[in-house]
This record gives sequence, C-alpha cells and structure tokens, in this order.
Amino acid sequence: MKKIVIGIDIGGTFTDIIIQNKESGDIIKQLKVSTIPKNPEEAIITSLQKELTSEDIDFVQQIYHATTIATNAFLGQVNLELPKTALVTTKGFRDILEIGRQRRASLYDFSFERPTPIIPRRFRFEIEERLNHRGEITLPIELDILPKISAIIKQENINSVAITLLHSYMNSIHEQKIKQYFEKNHKDIYISTSFEVSPEHREFERTSTTAINAILMPIVSRYINSLAESFTEFGFKAPLFIMQSNGGVSKSDQIQKLPVSIIESGPSAGVVASRFYAEFLDLNRVLSFDMGGTTAKAGSIVNKTITLTSEYEVGGDVHSGRIVKGSGYPARFPFIDLAEMSSGGGSIAWVDKGNALRVGPISAGSDPGPACYDHKGEDPTITDANLILGRLNPEGLLNKTFKIYPELSKISIEEKIASKIDLSVFESALGIIEIANINMSRILRIVTVERGLDPRDFILIAFGGAGPLHACALANELEMNHIIIPNSPGLFSAMGLLFTDVKHTYVKSIREKIMNLDYQVVENEFRNLEEKGFVVLDEEGFKEKDILHQRFAELRYIGQGFELLIPLSEIDLEANTTSTKIKSLFNEKHKAIYGYTMENEEVEVVNIRVNSFGLIKKPVLKNIKSGAKKPIKEALVEYRQVLFDKQKDFVKTPIYDRTALLAKNENTGPAIIEQYDTTTVIPLNWKAKVDEFGLIHLHRM
Amino acid sequence: MKENQVDVITREVIRGGLEFIAEEMGIILRNAAYSTNIKERMDHSCSLFDYKGRMLAQAEHIPVHLGAMPLTVKSVITTFEGEINPGDSFILNDPYLGGTHLPDITIVTPVFYQKELVGYSVSRAHHNDIGGMVPGSMPGNATEIFQEGLRIPPVKIVQKGVVNKDILNIIMLNSRTPKLRKGDLMAQLSANWTGEKRLIELIQRKGLKTYKLVVDEILNYSERRFLAIIKNFPDEEAEGIDFMDGDGISDEEIKLVVKVKKLNNHLTFDFTGTSKQVRGAVNCPYAVTLSGAYFVLRSITDPTIPANEGLYRHLTVIVPEGSILNAKPPAAVVGGNVETSQRVVDALLKAFSKIIPDRIPAASQGTMNNLIIGGMDANNQPFTFYETIGGGSGGTPNKDGVDGIHTNMTNTMNTPIEEIEARYPLKVLEYSLRNNSSGKGKHRGGIGIIRAFQTEVPVVISLLGERQKTAPWGLQGGKDGKQGEYYKITTENKKIILPGKGTSTLEAGEVIVIETPGAGGWGDPKERSKVQKTDDRLDEKVSEK
Repeated sequence: MKKIVIGIDIGGTFTDIIIQNKESGDIIKQLKVSTIPKNPEEAIITSLQKELTSEDIDFVQQIYHATTIATNAFLGQVNLELPKTALVTTKGFRDILEIGRQRRASLYDFSFERPTPIIPRRFRFEIEERLNHRGEITLPIELDILPKISAIIKQENINSVAITLLHSYMNSIHEQKIKQYFEKNHKDIYISTSFEVSPEHREFERTSTTAINAILMPIVSRYINSLAESFTEFGFKAPLFIMQSNGGVSKSDQIQKLPVSIIESGPSAGVVASRFYAEFLDLNRVLSFDMGGTTAKAGSIVNKTITLTSEYEVGGDVHSGRIVKGSGYPARFPFIDLAEMSSGGGSIAWVDKGNALRVGPISAGSDPGPACYDHKGEDPTITDANLILGRLNPEGLLNKTFKIYPELSKISIEEKIASKIDLSVFESALGIIEIANINMSRILRIVTVERGLDPRDFILIAFGGAGPLHACALANELEMNHIIIPNSPGLFSAMGLLFTDVKHTYVKSIREKIMNLDYQVVENEFRNLEEKGFVVLDEEGFKEKDILHQRFAELRYIGQGFELLIPLSEIDLEANTTSTKIKSLFNEKHKAIYGYTMENEEVEVVNIRVNSFGLIKKPVLKNIKSGAKKPIKEALVEYRQVLFDKQKDFVKTPIYDRTALLAKNENTGPAIIEQYDTTTVIPLNWKAKVDEFGLIHLHRM
Repeated sequence: MKENQVDVITREVIRGGLEFIAEEMGIILRNAAYSTNIKERMDHSCSLFDYKGRMLAQAEHIPVHLGAMPLTVKSVITTFEGEINPGDSFILNDPYLGGTHLPDITIVTPVFYQKELVGYSVSRAHHNDIGGMVPGSMPGNATEIFQEGLRIPPVKIVQKGVVNKDILNIIMLNSRTPKLRKGDLMAQLSANWTGEKRLIELIQRKGLKTYKLVVDEILNYSERRFLAIIKNFPDEEAEGIDFMDGDGISDEEIKLVVKVKKLNNHLTFDFTGTSKQVRGAVNCPYAVTLSGAYFVLRSITDPTIPANEGLYRHLTVIVPEGSILNAKPPAAVVGGNVETSQRVVDALLKAFSKIIPDRIPAASQGTMNNLIIGGMDANNQPFTFYETIGGGSGGTPNKDGVDGIHTNMTNTMNTPIEEIEARYPLKVLEYSLRNNSSGKGKHRGGIGIIRAFQTEVPVVISLLGERQKTAPWGLQGGKDGKQGEYYKITTENKKIILPGKGTSTLEAGEVIVIETPGAGGWGDPKERSKVQKTDDRLDEKVSEK
C-alpha cells in the first residue's frame, strides 16, 4: 500500500508544503504558496486539492505542521487580542508576575517600558496557603475564597486560568485542589497548573510560563480545531503532529494541553533537518545556519543531538543574537538553543548620525522590498548589495521569473550610503555584506564558543533562501573549513518536518548533594518520568521498540545558582561508583565551558529530566547520477563579472546550474551555482564538490 | 583613502567585535559565579580597555560599576608601571585607589599580542561579604573605611599565569563566606581570560596596526554622535539641589548642589556648594560621582552611543575635595556607591529639567534599599544574604513611570523566593507592589514594592536606604512620590520603625518589612486621562480620593 506523509510549514510570507511517498522516500511534490495570515488553512487546502487525487487522500498517514501562531500571538502580528486570563496564586504574591526580576531591559533610557503584564492585576487572585521548599504544608489551603474568584471569572467572561503556588514543584496538592474546584464549577474553562506546565523552582519563571500557557490554550486550541476540521472535511483520517520548540513533534491533542511547547515551532524544523543530515552523513559536530528574508538563525548539533536551552523570552528584543533580559515574557521550556539575528536578504543598510554604516535590524521584507524589486522600497538592502556585486543573477530571481533591477540598487546605495561615507558604490556594497556577515557570525559564535565549543571542529549546513550566499564568508570568519549546501535550501525547513521524531520532555525537582543521593530513589523517579512518556507515546500509536528515553540531570556546585545539563543515559545508577562518575562528567563540562573546576566542592542535583522519543522511519537521501570531475557543458550557463574582494577588481566568474551538476563534479572558486530557491557563492580559496546525494560540499583550501 | 586611516567598515567590524567580547565576558562571569548576588542578580560588569587605559567597550550591566572603571585601570597602570607582564592579573577594591566601595572587587587583566600590550580586560563584581563590622560588609553606621571590610590595594592576583594563593587566602580569611569568595573570584578570572583570548583572536584576524587605528576612530565616533545631539541643547546654565536623609549617624540633612552649564557644545557639572564629607557611610569617592555624571550624560543624549572616552570628551566634572562627593580617607564610603550616587543623578536631572524639560522625568525612587541579613543557620554555618529592592520610576514627559523596578544607577535582579527559602533560614511573607505610593501627575510615578522576610534564627540586619524623609520629587506640576519605610514586626505583632541606615537584630520569628518609595509624577494631575485613572483603580494601584 502506498503511504504518504505531508509536511506543512507556515511562515510569515510563504507556506511551504512537501508531499512525500513514505515508502520510497520520493518527494511527490514541493510547493511554496503565499500565506494567508487570517485563514492559513485555506492556502493549504487549495494546494492539496490540486496536488492530491482522492485516492491519495486515503494513503496519507501523517501530517506534520510547523506554525508561528504562538509567537505571533505575543508579537501582535495576528489579529488576536490575547484572551482574558486569570491567575490564582499564594497570598502575598500576586505581583510576582508583574515585578518579574525587577530589572529594566534598557539601562540608559528614561522612557523604558516593562512589557505589559500578561495577566492584569485585577485578574490576579490570591489564596491563603503555603508550602516550604521541601514541599511540606506550613499553612493549609483556604478554599473558601474560590467561589468569590469563580464569580468574577464568570462575570468577566474569563475562559482560561493559570494556577501557580509557591513551591508547588515539590508538592502539587494545593494546585490540584484548586484545579479540581474549577473543573467542577466551570464548564468551558482552560486550566494550566504550574506543577504540570513547569515543575521547577524559581517562582517568576514558573508563573510566567504557566500564564503564557494559559493565554495560549484558547488560541492554539481554536487554531488546531479549525485546522483539523478542514482536514477532516477534506477527507484526511491521518493524525496531525505539531512541531515543538524542543525539536520534536507531538500530536495535536497533546499540544492543546501544552501550547507553551510550540512557541519556537517555526524555526525548529530547520535544525531538525540539519540533525537528520548529521545522522545520515555521520557527522559529529554540525552547525545549522538558516538565513531567509528577515532573520538569520543558528543552532548546534553535537554528537547528533540538538543543543537545547530553557531560557527564552517570548516577544523579547534581540541584541547581538541574545534576547535582552526583561524585554519579553519568560517561558521556561526546552527550546532548541537558537541564536537569532534580524539579518536577511531584506535587511536595510543605513548610515547613522556618527557616520557609521549599519545593517538592520529593520527589514524591507517583501513589501516595500529591496530597492531592486522596484516596488515601493528605496532603501538599500543586503539583496541589493549582493546584486550589484554580481552575486545574484541580474536578470531575475527564482529562475529569472522574478524581475529585478540592478540599476535601482546602484542608485540606492550611491545615495543612501556611498555619498555619505566617502566610499565607492562597490566598496559600500562590500561593506554592507561584510557588516552583515560579522553580525551573523556572532550568532554562530553564541551557539559554539559561548557554549564551550570550538567552531573549527564543526561543519556548517547553510540553507534558507540567502544562507548559501553568505556561507563561505561566515566560515572564513569562524575559521571553519567545511560547508554543506542541501538540495533544496529554500524548502529545507519544511523537509525537516518529515524527519522529526515525536518528543516529550519531563522534569522532576530533586535537590540533594550527589554524594548523599539515594540512587535507588533516583532510578525510580527516572522510571516514573519514563512511564509518563511511555503512556503518551503509546496513545500516539508508537510500539515499544520505537520508543526511546534519554536521561539527564541538572547539576551545579553547591552555592552556584545555575545548572549544567549532564546526560545520564549511559550511567548505571545502581553501581557504587555512580556519584564519582557523575561528578567527573560534571567537572569535565564545567571545565569546558568556564575554564576551571572546583574539585573539592560538592556537586548537587537540582532537577532530573527525561526526553521520551517516538522514533519514526526516516527518509533516505537518493543517489544522483554520477559524472566526471569536470561538470558537463550544459551545467556551465554563462560567465558573469563578480566582485569578491575590495583589494581586487571584478572577476570573470563561471555560473553553474545546480540541476545539471552530477555527483563527483567539482568547481573551484571563484564560481557561482544557481538554482530555483537559492544562489551559492564560492569565493576564491574555496572548492565545491558534489556528492552522490547531490549535496554540495564546500571546502576551504 | 589615506595611509593611516581605516575605512568605516573595518571600524564598525572591530567596534562591534569588542562589544561582543565584553558581553561574552559578562555571560561567562555570571554562569561560572557562585554567589546568588552574581548568579541570580547579575551584580557585575565587564569591559575592555585599550593599551592606554581608555575604555573601549562594555557589557551593559550596572551603571555605577561602569562609570568608575576607567579610574580603576588607571590606578593599576600607575601602580605597576614597568611591571605589567603577560599572564598577570591585578585585583583591587580600595575606593581611594580606583575602587568604588569595598564589596565591589575588580580584576584587571592586561592583554598582550606578540609581547606588546594591546589592552585590558576588566571585570567588577559585588561580593556579598568582604569582612568588616557586619555580615554583608554594608554597615550603614560605619564611620571609617576600616570598619567596612578588607581593603585591597592594586596587587597581582595572578603572576605569569599562576594564581597567587597567598592573596586569595588573605581575602578568604577576611570574608564570612570564603568559599563563595573563591568561586566568584575564579569566575571573574575566567571572564577576564575569555576577554583576553578573544581580543587576541580579534587582533590576529584584523592586524595590530588596524586595531590601533580603529581604537582611536572608535572614540572619535562616539564623540561625533555626542556632538550631533548636544548641539541641539540651548546654551544655558541651571542649578539642581537635592538632599539626603542623613548619614546614618546623625539626622542632619545632606545637601547636594550642582550647577550645570552648557556652552559651545561643552558641558560642565560643578558640584561646588555640596556638603562636606560626613562621619557616616554615604561619602563618595570621586569615581562614584563620576559614574553618576556619566549615567546622566548617556541618558540625556542617546543610549546607543558606545560609551567610551570619546563620549566624555566634552564634559568637565568639578567636585570640591573633601566634599561628600569627593571624600578623603578614611571616610566611610560603602553607601556612597549605592545611595549617594542615586542622589547625584537626581540633582543633575533637576538641573537639566530646566534646560531640556521635554527630556527629563520626575525623580525615581532614589535609593537601592540595600538589605543585608546575616547570622548562623540551623547547621551553625555562617550565612549572608544581600539584596537591593526596586521602587517606582519617575513619570516622564510621554508616559507613566514603571512600578516596582530598579532605576538609574542600578539594575540588579531580585533573588527568587524559592531560592532564598531553600538556601537561607528565611521565609518571604510578601512580595507585592505598594499601592498608593506614586506621585500623582498627568503621568504618574511608578509605585514602590513591599517585601517582607521572616527569620527562623536570630540575625543581624543592615539597612542602607534613602528617601524616608525627603520624597522623590514631581516635575512640571506632578506631585512627589511617597517616602519609603522600613520596620520590624515582633513576635507580639508590634511594629517598630527602623532607621533607613543602620544595623539591628531580629529574633527568630520576627519579621522585617521593606516598603520602597514611589516615584514623582510628571505634569498636572488634572490632565490625567480617565482611562488611566480607571485602570489604576481597577488594579488597586491608586485608589481614588
């Protein structure tokens, strides 16, 4: 029987759809269609109607989906007013959510703002109760206040409630009691409890995460239900899986309970696709670099594992690739450790008041667009700079179907840049590219050097519409020697959806010195978490042989306030050398990141974590036709004048058509390879080799 | 292009690179540190200097740290002229030799490229105990610096790559929490070494000659940005006067006077007329006063101008010697850094409100509400808990002030309650916004915070706060904010008001309550919009009267 899977990645501008035959691995169809923000499912259904026969519909096994709905809700990008939400918390502490960490996001700005509290004070209710840090009840809960709160909630038409009590990560009993009350007394209400959403210490982050979940529940539920409805109407019986920020998918009904898990759904798919490459090609250190029209994103994959973090602020400002603390709403959940920068083809170059050339963060997007589009945009962008340097095809983008005008780029750069900083148009264009590259090299640095990793040990996978244009320059900056350009860089993220395992993460607070731990208890706690994962994966239809658990502990020296995540899957917890082994793993990692260890200090555990995976069958990359070292004649389209280096002049550069390149083909820089969805620039001192799967490997010579 | 010039592109690339390094240092320091004060509250700052000791780039953490750093580096350079070698690092905390107050320990690491001195990487962190008469080393009632803790003149903590254990041992022995000291100092070194490594890498890639040319250009760039703004300010002179509640020994009011003059694109801040140095602990070394001046300069111009010597070229700061803002040893100074610095800002802003009224907000809470709780925990181990508590920020010409937040010279985070209760014998009873504490106005001031702790063991408490007598002022018709209040509640439920500065004791079961000041309002309260009034009422922040 034929088996079909579908990947759908809805972005701000485009919706990417990939339809694949699961058995053969053949891509049946890949599509890029315009996104309709108000009614995103419409574009999908219309396209699917065209591409799938009624027979095919029955063969569809799974639908995978990446969405930016959750992030956009907090950026005000969709016409969504955040739903009215209430918070119930311990008496004396309703303002924790508003005070946050009492820090302002900008130091020297008198008009600084704090992000508006996501739940206004009038809907933050207090209840008499108290636990201590061991989870012991020091003040029993007074439930008498609940009818009063309940009445206000009904009167105000609030349909979602967050429940966060102090120290509930150690004992959930009081939160459970409140939850039960609301379940009993309200029919249509969404409930988020902090012990279920984020059972870890640090009350502000836990409260904020739970509140975000509560706010997202109605939005995401509505979205998923409407999508599912359209699919059912269309005839699909296949389950819908949604990409989570942690790089795994989860079935849509799980997501409705934990929508905070899909905040970075969109950007995750690309990293997952890179991870698949790492596994398929057996690469131990891979950097994923994704550059599109407005942003660039970097993530690292070490030993075929995606690096995760739990620090994230929804709707926050980004400075040099790092989120500015206090500028958004903290959500504590495993996120793919991505560094992002407002730098894409549409990023605008400008000269500031001190006469410095700057690139971004403002983007011309697709409307008004770069100057060369001849829409309304008059500001020079990265695309304009690439164009007049000869790196992009002057006759048009997307196989010349999209007309562009280099002379407009030239005028724009002359007027807005060159004349102001006393450089020629071409020097200015080179400057724009160089500054953009420096900016982007920072996000690659953040996910490597700042995490104690050496970028020179890594292979860069560059994708997105603009990634392959800049990859070699970035690699030069970081002294990396090897780059891989996937087959369809522009659709790479959507492809990633088809490679994604189902993933659930669970955490349990255990706070003890590792020398004093009763490892039998720890083993049991791990098993409890794994059992939770098993139950959910079983419901999602996975067989035992396709289920995998990974164990981790968050450790620190006693007295430290920040933890390192140490994998424990390989450790036998019941051996008598366990604590020594764990300590040496921790010391090793501490040394790698901070440059020193404190051998005599005791190490404590703060949390244990389990990742539970439902493994799916991965597609296989197919071999392409083999050729000689020298590409066939048809592959060489033309020669074009391209400027690479400010010390030199324009050079006559061969332009190749990627679709005509065969395995074993080599191109020595300077050269350019063009294809529908991207352009790969190979500067001097770089060499391109096509492998048996059609992937381009760029090597520094 | 001329021979000895670099193009703007290269300059921008290197400038950005330097800033990025400073930020990375800050992250390394925070992550590797031990004490909650650094880990959770980020009470630390990092920066890079050039070979002449001029500040090039900084990570934006704590304003009061950063302004004073240039004098720190100068102090090291003068003290060790001819003895600064590769592999060295210098440590100091003495306020009279380049420091701010004793808990702030600075480590300066010279950076060499091919045996040539090319710059310094510097980190400063607030250590939660450096000895002295009370746990936490912030005695609000000190009368000389010797009571405030261990004074460290500029000395080599690392020589040729080897940490000097003797010095480390002296520091550890003088602290009530020696393990934390060691951990935090190692974290600072780790950050400095990162900065060193990265700066060398940057020079390796760009070339030494280019780097040196760029350094000069970076400073000129800031100067140009500064001039582009200051030229729009009117040539005028105005005076700003503000007061402090007292010095913790006597209740005599302390007067801060500043005359601000803007003439021909040059600014002069003249503090002549300010009170003489006092017996109590609120004196400022010159460096701290300078920090306040730099803070105001950055805030009234453009916060995005890179902060370095170029930005301050057209600023003269005159502070009479022996005044509270340029104290001589052995004056006690621990509160100058945290409290008087806030008033320096207030006085300057008051003066500027007369010159550029559309840029200046009403007064913010004007204090950091330093609270230190120390004693022996249930296992008879000494502990010290330190934090500062936010308040209201001033109403501005465009909008309301922000409620319950750190303002002006500080920006430290709070410690999570669940971390406090797990680590110290303390229980937090309340953490909330302080209703009805804001100054009314068209744009009201932010409201303060209430934070209450109950102790499980007998403890010593040090308080160092301000604005309990004088109030954060309103502007352009806006009203003053409400003063702060500190008190304890005994086990018999009796409320006892505590002075803003000083040391007291709590018995097990007693409670300390800190109520922080609300900020001043901006503009006539009658012009306040109905919607905002209703919101304030519904949110119980301001009840209608």
